[in-house]
Amino acid sequence: MSGEARGAPAVSSRWRILAHPQDWHCVAFHIACLTAYAFAFWLYQHPKLAGITGPWSRIAFVTASASMLGWISGIDVGVNFHNHSHRPIFTSRFFSRCFGRIWTFSGGWPSFFWEYCHVTIHHANLLTIDDWTLPKRNADGSFEDFRKYLFTHWPWRVMAHLWKDLTARQSLRRKALRELAIFLALWSIPFWIDPVMALCLWVLPHWIANAFVMNSGMYVQHTGCVPKSPTRPVSHSTVFVSNFFNLTMFNIGFHLEHHDHPRVHWSELPDLHQRLKQDLIDGGAHVVPYGLHHASFLLAGDDARKNRFAGQDSGYKKQ
Amino acid sequence: MNRLLRRLSRTFLSQTRLVFGRSFFPLFAIAIIAGATLWGPWVSLAVTVLAVAAALRLL
Repeated sequence: MSGEARGAPAVSSRWRILAHPQDWHCVAFHIACLTAYAFAFWLYQHPKLAGITGPWSRIAFVTASASMLGWISGIDVGVNFHNHSHRPIFTSRFFSRCFGRIWTFSGGWPSFFWEYCHVTIHHANLLTIDDWTLPKRNADGSFEDFRKYLFTHWPWRVMAHLWKDLTARQSLRRKALRELAIFLALWSIPFWIDPVMALCLWVLPHWIANAFVMNSGMYVQHTGCVPKSPTRPVSHSTVFVSNFFNLTMFNIGFHLEHHDHPRVHWSELPDLHQRLKQDLIDGGAHVVPYGLHHASFLLAGDDARKNRFAGQDSGYKKQ
Repeated sequence: MNRLLRRLSRTFLSQTRLVFGRSFFPLFAIAIIAGATLWGPWVSLAVTVLAVAAALRLL
């Protein structure tokens, strides 16, 4: 549990398990994700039930399942667990820590490592040279190529940075080793069942989750942005106001509000957004009418498509 | 009593809608994966391709 999360005030009475009434939606989401993995593994082991009759139909099943599993795992860790890393969803710290471990392993991460990257590095050093979770910069200050970041950041750059950071101090090293051991024990479970299945329906979805969902999310949320300053207070993140996107993604679209107020509960971000709306317009915040997926599609394209991303939602233009 | 029941059912319905809405993607994934038992892997693959294309275009 991060320092920020540890410092969270006691938010509820003794008899409550969850810190916020809507946090059970996070639990439901994660259980649904694990259920999806269980279905995929079971059908892989019982191919006739899924209409798998040969190598090609197996490839079709694996491609469909791995894509869907990667998609939901990216949301489950990058959005759902992300909220937990800022505001633990359980009133018990012990329970939060344990649940965190069985939360991120299905996205290819030890929970402590993910929290460290997000809270200690990204939030504390947003858009500065110390924020190694974001894309590298070109000479003109812009982010490196979208595709280069997607394919090189996880796990390669992440591992190199984590190794350097977490081995620097003995206390961190011990904790990191313990968490890594717990993660490896959990993460190896599908390999005990069937190593080929584990590669197809476990490792491949985790790569899709990290490269195409989490990395693309990080890129589009902060590309074209500048560090927070008195003259540019609301230009450090882009805001995505699609209603359906925010309903299905735990309001992660209100990203600027989240960075400025990371302790505000995810379910309260739409209200906070409404209260800050005029400040965002006056400050020239970048607000777009869609979500992260379409933004990724625009930024992965040619200059014409990239320019469409730079556009502003019509409801957030200065009069 | 009637008003209380109405309020309770409204709360229940809005909460149910919210939790299903928020779990839309994993429930959709379960439908695609488990649905292969009904319609086979090729239809699951086709729906996945359509869903990813729609998300990239609209979401």
